[in-house]
Amino acid sequence: MSNLKVEPLVTGTLQPAAGPARPSLWQLLRVWFMLGIQSFGGGTATLFLIRRAVVEQHRWISEGAFTRDWALCQAAPGINLLCMTILLGRQVAGIPGALVAMLGLMLPSVTITIVMTALYADLRNLSMVQAALRGVVPATVGMGLLLSANMARPLLATSRRESQGSLGVGILLLVGSAAAVQFWHLPVIIVLCGAGAIGALNTWYHATQAKVGQP
Amino acid sequence: MIDPLLYFWMLLKASLFSTGGTGNLPSIHADLLAHNWATDRQFAEALAIGQISPGPSGFWVISLGYLTDGVRGALLATLAISLPPLLILAVAALHRRVGDHPAMQGFVHGLGLAVCGIFLVVVVQLLKENGFDLISAAIVLASIGLALTKRVPVPVLLLLAGLAGALLY
Repeated sequence: MSNLKVEPLVTGTLQPAAGPARPSLWQLLRVWFMLGIQSFGGGTATLFLIRRAVVEQHRWISEGAFTRDWALCQAAPGINLLCMTILLGRQVAGIPGALVAMLGLMLPSVTITIVMTALYADLRNLSMVQAALRGVVPATVGMGLLLSANMARPLLATSRRESQGSLGVGILLLVGSAAAVQFWHLPVIIVLCGAGAIGALNTWYHATQAKVGQP
Repeated sequence: MIDPLLYFWMLLKASLFSTGGTGNLPSIHADLLAHNWATDRQFAEALAIGQISPGPSGFWVISLGYLTDGVRGALLATLAISLPPLLILAVAALHRRVGDHPAMQGFVHGLGLAVCGIFLVVVVQLLKENGFDLISAAIVLASIGLALTKRVPVPVLLLLAGLAGALLY
């Protein structure tokens, strides 16, 4: 039987099989620092790396908890990936763990981002670079349009599941907020809060209607 | 002259009231342009660098900070985008109590739709400022097509677009 015993993937930890291993803050920092260095290619690629390190390699949290956390991060303010880093860090080693994980991820990636921008700023006035940028801008616009469509689609699908009226409200919020900024020049933050309030009232109304409709 | 406190507040506010890395774009765009603290070109540049550099693409704000206000701007931007995600701890705690309340879900839902709508306005303006012509229209369509295949990594896509720009303009 002893031949079949599964060795922990992290060398040097002699934790019992049940329950996640408790790493030191230093180890946590090192793992997240390495993730920060490798985090090229945007959020999806990075999330993939994080999942492999945290769930598969170190087994700090379970697969299910990882998925639940990611869903929660969609509803929190700011960059989803940073929210995820904070949540995972806290589950592994409390608030200090959250801060250390964030520091580890951000230190290399923020530094490289600033250096890359500085290098670009030195070159930006070369005619060659300007011509290249004129080509890059439409590409970022194309990806922006796609991003906007990808973000809106699941939201409108949720509205449609709620009711026809909800779908109408959803489309109105989408088009109306664009018009409010483009044509009526309303402050963006006001439009965002207004749209949130209308969304809250609408969903709440439908929830109470559904409750009344139940036998 | 850029007032660092107000500048910081604009970036912080935008990130507080949005989810995801680019949801803050509409608000930052409106605020900084109103003060003449940034140009459309700088926004386009920062968004592109944010896609290529390591870390989440939301780090475009750090790049914008550097382009508009040097190292100080980059550090202010880093702080401004680091603080809002900490609220996830409060959201996680709140979620355990009232996360399923329909008004809460509805608020996030409505907010998301508005961000998508305003996002379109900003993106179209970036394209207009860059000079809209047949070449740029072709690059927009080509990049959407390539992105839809999901086979081309974003940095490669931007590199191709840059090459096209250097050759055609």
